[in-house]
Amino acid sequence: MYDQIGIWVAAFFTLAIYSFLYKENPVYRFAEHAVVGISLGYSMVYVYNTVLEPRLLEPLFVRGQIALLPVLLLGLLYITRFFRSVSWLSRYPIAVVFGMAMGLSFPRTMLSMVLRQAEATVIPIYQSGYAWHDVLGSLVIIIGTLTALIYFFFSKPHKGWFFGTGSRIGIWIIMIAFGATFGFTVMGRISLLIGRVQFLLTDWLHVIQ
Amino acid sequence: MTIWDRLFNIDRRWIFLLMGVVTVVPFFFKMGLPVITTEEVEGIYNHVDSLDHDNAVMIGFDYQPGTMAENQPMSEAVMRHCFARKIPVFITAFWPLGNGLAEQAITTLTDPAKPGTFQRVRYNEWREYDYGDEELPDRVTHAELVELWERDHELREDAMGWVFEGVDYVLLGYAPLFHIVLLGMGRSITSQYPSDLYGNPTEDMPIVKRNKSAREVDMGLTVSGSSTVLSWLTYARESYGMPIAFGVTAVSATDYLVYIQSGQILGQMGGLRGAAEYEVMLERDDYAVEMGRAFMGMDVQSIVHVLIVILVVLGNIAYFAGGYHRKGRRLKAGR
Repeated sequence: MYDQIGIWVAAFFTLAIYSFLYKENPVYRFAEHAVVGISLGYSMVYVYNTVLEPRLLEPLFVRGQIALLPVLLLGLLYITRFFRSVSWLSRYPIAVVFGMAMGLSFPRTMLSMVLRQAEATVIPIYQSGYAWHDVLGSLVIIIGTLTALIYFFFSKPHKGWFFGTGSRIGIWIIMIAFGATFGFTVMGRISLLIGRVQFLLTDWLHVIQ
Repeated sequence: MTIWDRLFNIDRRWIFLLMGVVTVVPFFFKMGLPVITTEEVEGIYNHVDSLDHDNAVMIGFDYQPGTMAENQPMSEAVMRHCFARKIPVFITAFWPLGNGLAEQAITTLTDPAKPGTFQRVRYNEWREYDYGDEELPDRVTHAELVELWERDHELREDAMGWVFEGVDYVLLGYAPLFHIVLLGMGRSITSQYPSDLYGNPTEDMPIVKRNKSAREVDMGLTVSGSSTVLSWLTYARESYGMPIAFGVTAVSATDYLVYIQSGQILGQMGGLRGAAEYEVMLERDDYAVEMGRAFMGMDVQSIVHVLIVILVVLGNIAYFAGGYHRKGRRLKAGR
């Protein structure tokens, strides 16, 4: 029975959100605010039950793991944001989180996002056993990377055979990438619509299997 | 007003209506248009297919309900593949709402009302069961547990097999600052997740005893509607070499194709189409008795794409034929 209530509620909210396509209306507004509020409330309770209580409060106050006390105090400093005279204290936990995240991510991000990507452009154009489309693929990767980088080099005017032609090829490469992204975006949006229509026709109305 | 002017001033709600009709109608007339598999998805499928009960897979439900239509079929397809091949699965979540979606995926794959699903046995159910004279091995395997369990229990006729919580899968759930959790799991899974989502201690679970850290996991699949996939690449792959695969929404699919070319990821499922490809391979190899929801949506996807192409072509014809490309005859914004 609870499942059925859940399905009807979900169907109502789906239709309420899609009613925006006709025009903005109070039902849409209600659904929009309900989604934001419920998501936030759900997340807060979930985080308390699955993180704060079992990982901090229970070990600290029940099992006496006092090593967690500084963590609790640091976390509590976030609340000082609500009091103007001491709100500067909230910068400390933020600084700790940012500093830690930066320190942990910087070398790994450089490795995975920059060096490995740069490495992937240093490839042979031709090797024995390569088909013509492999050679073409290699050329597109090398020329595409270089010309797109030339397009974003603004310290020289985009004139002449190197900077002028290079940046023109670069903008074509970028436009083709945008076109591919737009195509995928259309596909993604349609997929979301398909998901909702499938839900309405299958779980709610039971008109298809 | 010329026909081209009328075309440009058409109320956009007619197009929405047309789109709605074209989306609904094909569900009643299944055409079964073929879905051709691509190398990106085959890369993931073949890797999972090469694993068995001695390996392990970690699946990150790193999305929220907003992208569920695209991401959920991917998660379910790979989980089905793992369950069918008895590959232990660790399930995590980058966001709190991912927990509910993971639970829903398990419920769908073990729904007794559907054919070709699995029969789930909860952790406390098999752990606290009285096996008589037999003693439950500390690191009990799926095969050993099935042998003990089937003495008193019968597998549902249309089920594809048993799935034991704590042996075949564990729902670890959400943990804050997940990139640090990924790093920590490289040392020990229990240090980051002392208990599973339901409060069961993970150190007692055979799945954790057999795979103590994420270093022993043979594939990490992050299914996401955002850039959280990069956390797995940066922290799990670069730190301890976990092979990574992506399941991403179509919108972000092109952003991550470069990681396939560079060899940093095994493959990628992009949008509903990616999930449909995986479903095709599952059905082909008898891991599923019928196609899933992603494949069902592909007919609609194709027809709607044709409609969009027609509208784009029509719009361009009207633009040039109506002389809007000439100076002094510009289109008004926000029609």
